[in-house]
Amino acid sequence: MFTSQFKCEIMLKLAMQTSPYAKLLLSAMNSSGCKVIRDRHFACEDCDGSVSGGFDVASSQIVLCQNNIHQQSHMNRVVTHELIHAFDHCRAHVDWFNNLRHLACSEECVRGRALRSILAVRKISAEEAQKIVDEVFDSCSNDHAPFGRIPHGSKDAEFAYRDHESRDRYNTNL
Amino acid sequence: PPRACDNYWEEFKHCVSWGNGFHHYYTYGTVPSCQQWKNDYNDCREWEERRSAEAKEALLKSERDRVAEQGNFTPVWELRKEPPGDWHLPLNQEKPQDS
Repeated sequence: MFTSQFKCEIMLKLAMQTSPYAKLLLSAMNSSGCKVIRDRHFACEDCDGSVSGGFDVASSQIVLCQNNIHQQSHMNRVVTHELIHAFDHCRAHVDWFNNLRHLACSEECVRGRALRSILAVRKISAEEAQKIVDEVFDSCSNDHAPFGRIPHGSKDAEFAYRDHESRDRYNTNL
Repeated sequence: PPRACDNYWEEFKHCVSWGNGFHHYYTYGTVPSCQQWKNDYNDCREWEERRSAEAKEALLKSERDRVAEQGNFTPVWELRKEPPGDWHLPLNQEKPQDS
């Protein structure tokens, strides 16, 4: 029988190899000095509740909740999501615990989802959360790093990945 | 040219696709403008095949405008000058994790 840990490891490998979002983020992190090593920076574990994963700043590790991720498409999304947090941590001084603006920015910049994420993670009032999300929205939604665009679908992600791989040619020719 | 010419054509086709129009309208409330990609494709071909100086200039300007547009915001956080020092430390040297 395949243990849930084994399945998690397999799906993680596949996500890293085939998801254009994940591949781009891994490549961008490499270029930023935070090379991602699967055995070091990812951990498949059992988690409480229905959480899918998280980024642990203290250990610089992405936790994947093997008991809550059952499909490859879900794994791809979780890996991408957590890699975005890791990427933001790598390139900027993100104050995860005290600065709600930073938290809002690193979560998806669709207002509704950012709002729910903040409320889930920090106990603050709904109005406060809404105010913060509104304030950072314009700034955050223009920060498309490392994608260079808002990747709505896999075509966007593929193009973004292609642009990223050719960035040397691009920059020298401008 | 900064990109392979076919890239510009593919970006144009993607730009005018229904899916992209939908997402763009949802995100920005407007329909996307895609003509520039087509112009860039034509300029790219002109540059490559006929070494046209005008086409080259037009294409470079178009790309520089694109880059400028992306930088047009104040970042929410301070960018690091170096990656975090503890990124590569082995796990048993990190603070103990909650289980």
